[in-house]
Amino acid sequence: MTGESHLNLEELLGDALRPIEPPDDLATRVESTLATIAEQAAAELSSWAEELSASELEALRDPRNWVRPVVAVAAGTVAGGALVVVGMRRRRRPAGLRATAEQVLKQVRPS
Amino acid sequence: MSVAKEEDSTPDGASKAELDRAFEELYRTHLRDVYSYAYYRVGNHHDAEDLTEQAFLQAYRHFERARRESNGRPLRPWLIRIAHNLASNYHRDRARRPEAALDAVEPPSHPLGTEQIVEGREELRLVMEKLDRLSDDRREALIMRFALGMSNREIARALGRTDGATKVLLHRAIKQLEEEMER
Repeated sequence: MTGESHLNLEELLGDALRPIEPPDDLATRVESTLATIAEQAAAELSSWAEELSASELEALRDPRNWVRPVVAVAAGTVAGGALVVVGMRRRRRPAGLRATAEQVLKQVRPS
Repeated sequence: MSVAKEEDSTPDGASKAELDRAFEELYRTHLRDVYSYAYYRVGNHHDAEDLTEQAFLQAYRHFERARRESNGRPLRPWLIRIAHNLASNYHRDRARRPEAALDAVEPPSHPLGTEQIVEGREELRLVMEKLDRLSDDRREALIMRFALGMSNREIARALGRTDGATKVLLHRAIKQLEEEMER
């Protein structure tokens, strides 16, 4: 393999793989798609932003403020769950005269 | 193109309008590169147009991050990498070789005399045919080098390889092509 044939091949490759000019309408097509996307994104953002005050928007941009709502939701869920469990236990536990009688029975006849 | 709508600032401190202007410049500068790459990968103008459009849409979505992470380096390898991945998906989805293999791609017109054109075109046809026999990575590296004029470093970034591995890849690609041409 000579250096000359190497160079010749590189020249051939340069000729064979020439850059291809994109069709004129491709540029228009891509630009119009990008413009549409940008407009849609801007419209979506502005309609969403209209529902929130400036300070709320500002606060939402800071990820540190995302922790509080998440913690609140989590705490609410745990508290709700705990209430359900307590309620179930309460329902299971007999109360009043019957409970006193059962307690006395346990003390008298421990199993 | 007028995609600048908002003046909100982005995490890298650039305004949305500034970012859009930078993207517009990137797009104008590299439309031909992306299209050429797409064309040599898929082998026909119709799919090359679709692939180019998709590549720029993806690039637009991730432009801000790419710009931030590039530390001022040129973004062409990143752009070509997007086109490269899309072309790979294209072939994977169709589960076959390009619709028109490279040997069926019409060589670009030559600014030479009639006799030279006939002779030259035969040689070019042969190169295209032999090029199609190379492995995907070797062929892609040669397309990047010769159709797009990318440096070793740029090709390395586009293919996600080291500079050294890319140099070896290109060397082997040319060597194999030479051997194929001598057969």
